[in-house]
Amino acid sequence: MTAHDVLRRVDSTPAASRTGGCPSTNVPREAFARVCTDFVAVHQYRLASLFATDDRHSGSGFGVHAVLAHDANGTRMMVSTSLPEHDPGYPSLTATIMAAHWYERYAMDMFGIIAIGHPDPRRLVHHENIPEGVWPLRKDFAWNTRLAHGAVPYPMHHVAGEGVYEIPVGPIHAGIIEPGHFRFNVAGERIMTLEGKLFFTHKGVEKLLEGKTIAEALPYIERLSGDMAAAHALAFCEAAEAIAQCVVPKRAALLRALVLELERLTMHIHDLANIAGNGTGYTIMAAQGFRIKERLMRCSATVFGNRFWRGHISPGGVARDLRIEELQMIAAVARDAYRDMRDLTTMALASDGLRERLETTGILTRDVAIAYGAVGIAARASGIACDVRHDFPDAAYRELAPVPAIEKTGDVFARFMVRVREMDSSAALIERICGSLPQSPVVVACAPIQGMGIGAVESWRGEVCTALIMDDGRIARCFPRDPSFCNWALFGELGPGNIVPDFPLCNKSLNLSYSGTDL
Amino acid sequence: MTPASSTIIQVACVVLLAPFATGMVRWAKARLQGRRGASPLLPYVTIATLLRKEMVVSPVTSWVFHLTPFVVLGTALALAALLPLMSAFGAFAGHDDFIFVSALLALGAVFLVLGGLDPGSAFGGMGASREMTIAALIEPAMITTFAAFAVASGTGSVSGMLAVGGAGIVAQPALIASIAALVLVMLAENARYPVDNPATHLELTMVHEAMVLEYSGPYLAMLELASSVKLAVFALLLGNMIVPNFLLVSGIGAVGVLLAIAVAIAKVSVAMVLLALLESSIPKMRFYRMQEYCAVAFLLAFAGLVLTVTQVLV
Repeated sequence: MTAHDVLRRVDSTPAASRTGGCPSTNVPREAFARVCTDFVAVHQYRLASLFATDDRHSGSGFGVHAVLAHDANGTRMMVSTSLPEHDPGYPSLTATIMAAHWYERYAMDMFGIIAIGHPDPRRLVHHENIPEGVWPLRKDFAWNTRLAHGAVPYPMHHVAGEGVYEIPVGPIHAGIIEPGHFRFNVAGERIMTLEGKLFFTHKGVEKLLEGKTIAEALPYIERLSGDMAAAHALAFCEAAEAIAQCVVPKRAALLRALVLELERLTMHIHDLANIAGNGTGYTIMAAQGFRIKERLMRCSATVFGNRFWRGHISPGGVARDLRIEELQMIAAVARDAYRDMRDLTTMALASDGLRERLETTGILTRDVAIAYGAVGIAARASGIACDVRHDFPDAAYRELAPVPAIEKTGDVFARFMVRVREMDSSAALIERICGSLPQSPVVVACAPIQGMGIGAVESWRGEVCTALIMDDGRIARCFPRDPSFCNWALFGELGPGNIVPDFPLCNKSLNLSYSGTDL
Repeated sequence: MTPASSTIIQVACVVLLAPFATGMVRWAKARLQGRRGASPLLPYVTIATLLRKEMVVSPVTSWVFHLTPFVVLGTALALAALLPLMSAFGAFAGHDDFIFVSALLALGAVFLVLGGLDPGSAFGGMGASREMTIAALIEPAMITTFAAFAVASGTGSVSGMLAVGGAGIVAQPALIASIAALVLVMLAENARYPVDNPATHLELTMVHEAMVLEYSGPYLAMLELASSVKLAVFALLLGNMIVPNFLLVSGIGAVGVLLAIAVAIAKVSVAMVLLALLESSIPKMRFYRMQEYCAVAFLLAFAGLVLTVTQVLV
């Protein structure tokens, strides 16, 4: 069986029976890796997500599902395979699809599903303290199980040689950031290898979501990553709406896009301030940029009662309609914030010293970005044309039609410039939405009962891809794949060759979420 | 006024003024960035707080770790007593040969480095290696700068350089390049922009701060005070090179002493505001550009020396 057969089979099924806007097909486990590789290598699909399910209650063992996306055509495909209960193994995808590496290690830790032949089968989520044979996402594992204290090795890469030394950093850092451990192997100041150890504060959200209704689950989804509340909520709602097959009214779709763009503007301002201000010590950018960002967060507090653009996007539409005064206020705050920040970035870009720090630092080549399945800013700064708003537009973005910001050089400066250009386009989109909202209801009934849906949204960080499986009106499995999950491993590639004092700058230029990865 | 009393006044004033120098530069930076900023007097409170705090000392440290704060503060105080900061005729005038001054600075730096290495933490070692790199690269510039002053004044002692300078830089235009080099040396010696960022919380980028990361309580207070004293010393030295007036001289009255103190405060304040302006307008340099920075400092110092020698010979 090849991808060609799969595509033909999908084409012959009636569109209405396609699950959640994403045709899916089941292949034997021996053919799984081959078919997926065929999709990626021959048909130019990319691996957008890969997740496992525990289907033992229905007698079909475990499932492994690969979500493949073709950005240029705007098509998505899900290839699944079933594994027998007592022998949950399948030939690993990672050998041929590099981007699968973390997903498969994740499934090994969480489900005990073995990716046979995985080139790096170390633990990922489970640290030393988790005993062997603990698979938290299997249905027979209770969420409140108290685990014995394990002592399983968690080896990290290590370089030996004269003058080579290791720098362990974290998990506790000097700044107010989340916990993450980084291991540098260094010769002088030059980084030779760099590896991260994350998953220090696993929340168990995937487990907690199971058995909940859509409405009960939404608050958990919004809190996966505090700076991406709107994007995660939207991806989740889109997945639910795909299952319920409901169509969001135009006004609601635009109001959702408004919140998403406000979140993007807020966080791009934050990142520009953080990269230039704290990353290089061009301190005026931090002092002024964070002040400007604060105005947007207060605007969110005024309109939505919280500082994180949370609580507005809801299944079937938005929680409430926004009054004309509120829209005017939002537009005015965004306009002022954008104008002030644009002045600052113009000044910053005129600084030779700053450009000298940003240019050629932390280069991510296009090949590496494609191989690792990089998404979002990291991918676009390395010359990959991918933007869910452009490639898979919903009703709102089909009309707004934003142009993806692509840069070629792949360095910190390119990522800085992608943000500057996206800030420009987000500000224009906000202005446009606030000025021309059609009248319509803002919510429709959305009651997903049974089935599988995929929701994908271009957050400010990159593509969120949420896979949702409903069973009898309740969540059977939900995997909200954060863009950070795809991009964390990039540090191992863009770090080496740089000097240690430039690593914080590389880190800030990606600004990945620990919490969004560590579900 | 005797030389001894002028030295006592100088040391007391410099030590008391030192935390203000650190506070002033922080406050001015905040103002320049549009922030309200903490009071310039905050470092006094910080040092007092640290002195009261318990110390946490890693069990793997040796006597070096305990000795370092004393040596570092000691060298800073020695500089404050030796150099012509408020008085050019102090008790040690004539004993402050510029090679000796450089050696004192190096002694403090070496102990700071040893103190950073001693606890065996990765950051301390990293900071130590960077500090030594910078110290080795900037030292030629410092020696050459002072050599130019020595040629101009015909004496190797720093107070002599000042006394002969008389009207200061105005009388010796050839020394402009040396003054510029001294500014660059001062920035590097005090771990300021563009060499080091004293305000960062990013351990991986630190130089000076990385070496003192393991210190706490009274030891940290001593090291902070030593940094402040060093900063005030260099500010006053630079100020006196440019404006060698209003110093303590023999036969000065109470009004003269007060005036000298007021001028010292003014010199430090102006230097700190200028430093804040610099630190607010440029980013920190990439570490691998340090050799270029130090090379520029050396070239300036060398140009100053050549010009001065030419002037003297002609």
